[in-house]
Amino acid sequence: MKLLSTYLKEMKIAFRGFYFYIEVVMAAIILIILLVAVKESPVSKEKEFLFYDMDEEIVDTFFKKAFEDGTMVRVDPVDFDVKAQEIEITDKETGETKTKVFEKETITADAIEVYNPDTGELDKTMFITDTEEDMIRLAYSEKTIGAKIWLDDSYKSHYVYYTQGYETERMQSLLYILHNDDIKVLNDTADSLTVRKLGDVEVLNNRQNLVPPFIVLMGSMMGYFIVIAYIYLDKGEGVIKAFAVSPSAVWKYLLSKAFVIMTTVTFSSSVITIPVMGLQPNYLLFYVLLWISTFAFAALGLFIASFFDNMTKAFGILFGGMMVMMLPALSYFIPSFDPVWMRYVPTYPLMQGFKEIMMINGDAKYVLTQCGIFLVGGIIVFLLANVRFKKTLTV
Amino acid sequence: MISVKNLSHLYNKEGKPAVNNISFEVEKGETFGFLGPSGAGKSTTQGVLTGLLKLQKGEVNVAGYDVSHVQNKRFNKIGVSFEQSNVYGKLTAKENLEFYAKLFDVETRDAQELIDLVGLSGKENVRAGEFSKGMKHRLTFARSMINNPELWFLDEPTTGLDPAIAATIKDIINAQKAKGTTAFLTTHNMYIADELCDRVAFIIDGEIKLIDTPKNLKLKYGQKLVDVEYLEGGKTKKETFKTIDEADRNKLAEVIKKHDIQTMHTKEATLEEIFIQVTGRGLV
Repeated sequence: MKLLSTYLKEMKIAFRGFYFYIEVVMAAIILIILLVAVKESPVSKEKEFLFYDMDEEIVDTFFKKAFEDGTMVRVDPVDFDVKAQEIEITDKETGETKTKVFEKETITADAIEVYNPDTGELDKTMFITDTEEDMIRLAYSEKTIGAKIWLDDSYKSHYVYYTQGYETERMQSLLYILHNDDIKVLNDTADSLTVRKLGDVEVLNNRQNLVPPFIVLMGSMMGYFIVIAYIYLDKGEGVIKAFAVSPSAVWKYLLSKAFVIMTTVTFSSSVITIPVMGLQPNYLLFYVLLWISTFAFAALGLFIASFFDNMTKAFGILFGGMMVMMLPALSYFIPSFDPVWMRYVPTYPLMQGFKEIMMINGDAKYVLTQCGIFLVGGIIVFLLANVRFKKTLTV
Repeated sequence: MISVKNLSHLYNKEGKPAVNNISFEVEKGETFGFLGPSGAGKSTTQGVLTGLLKLQKGEVNVAGYDVSHVQNKRFNKIGVSFEQSNVYGKLTAKENLEFYAKLFDVETRDAQELIDLVGLSGKENVRAGEFSKGMKHRLTFARSMINNPELWFLDEPTTGLDPAIAATIKDIINAQKAKGTTAFLTTHNMYIADELCDRVAFIIDGEIKLIDTPKNLKLKYGQKLVDVEYLEGGKTKKETFKTIDEADRNKLAEVIKKHDIQTMHTKEATLEEIFIQVTGRGLV
């Protein structure tokens, strides 16, 4: 009863304060951006820089069929203005490193647009350079992968990839596997394989794909921030002292704060998710993960708030914490940047968890595992916050 | 109702104790004044008694509870009125009191009755954030009575209030006293202490210098004087006579007999004067 009345009082204060409306307005802005500014299908900006070390006629035979069926279209050559560069190139197999220095110049590359045969959408644009050095310079400048392709005397294809150096081992291994043998052998092998589609697994469209990171941002991150703000508002008004001399337990005060955040986040996350995702997600799982993760992050906010007297003193760790928590968004949007340590940042599995929920036939087991981890972690941090607040409630 | 033995409290391990080895007792139904200037250790002592500060050294028993073992239910018997008003600015006066009432396990007073009692009638539905400092203070004071406390901590209950409101607050304290409420009053206002307290303790630099009733203190430390203004040769003259001095008594009798008396007042020492006399320090 005391918990309920404390929660209702907190909700009343939240409705009369501006943090609640900041959260809702933010959610509305994000929704408008998603619906208006983000197209469902991505406009491909993917680029590949290739150097075919072979006669042009042979190159044309590579693409002949694709040109005929329209999945590849040769477009006007493109001029790239490349500034002066010093590029360090390391051979992964030998470990040998050499440095090349280039002057500023304009490089012209033939351009071929590649279209998805099923959707007709532009998948990527291939740029074919005249020299290997041009390919290296453009790949370096555009921060993407370049490749040199040539044929030996038996017309066997060979590939040399130029990567940026920060790609994951997994991605590099993939390149090895892809070209571990003669292209002919690979094709023969492929022909003998039967490819099966796994159920109705579908990827999220471009707009839907943005929902999980925004939910994490609006839910966990804002919850973490706002709960700290609420605590310092109470400290500023001194009401925390009045609570301390009442017969109600500290944990009820703290839990009521977490519940307010969970209520606010439920509202703001629904504002974003329901219009964009419709009925596709498993909403039961969605709200379970949302509530548990928000509780865990609110507990973290409470724990941090217990160490400082005011917002100014807490700001450093508050801001630093938010920055770290946002890093997994990089891996989410750039899969090739996926260092192992990143997976230990709590928002990493959280984004993946929400993504699974958004997908048809997503991995419910993974989501429930995350729920369990966040629940246990949240309870532990909440208990620690409770111990800290008992000591410092009146400071 | 309150028993304190050898209480000491340090804010910094290497610093001077804010409270140093103090002992006192407060009887049930008594109004006990804890008097001293800013920084004397009043608030620290009250902080320990109310559980806002952790007991570091000594034995403290409040309303039957040992404060070294934190038990929230003890606050069902206790009311605390803070010097700095601390109410929810975004809640109305009535909402503030109604919410606080729900935190107690005992029967509580009606919010509107308390609002009327402290002179905030008509303001019950106004958010406390819009209140003046004095109004907030009255609301904080009213909140401290919500649970009909057996033991009432009052920290500077009339500070910042205009004389009329201060008089109302004093009346409320006296009314509660008549009902048998024990009050622990912390103040640097000696006039309030004189009017309200059964006993007072003088605390300075963390140490209690004396504990006694205001009446005894005046008898012990005050001088018995009479101020007289009378007419002599068409002019007003003013003289002070010591009633314990025979020559002064005779002179006073002669003045009364021979002259037209304009004003005559007996003069007792104030608690403030006694405080200065005992501690050698003022109250600011």
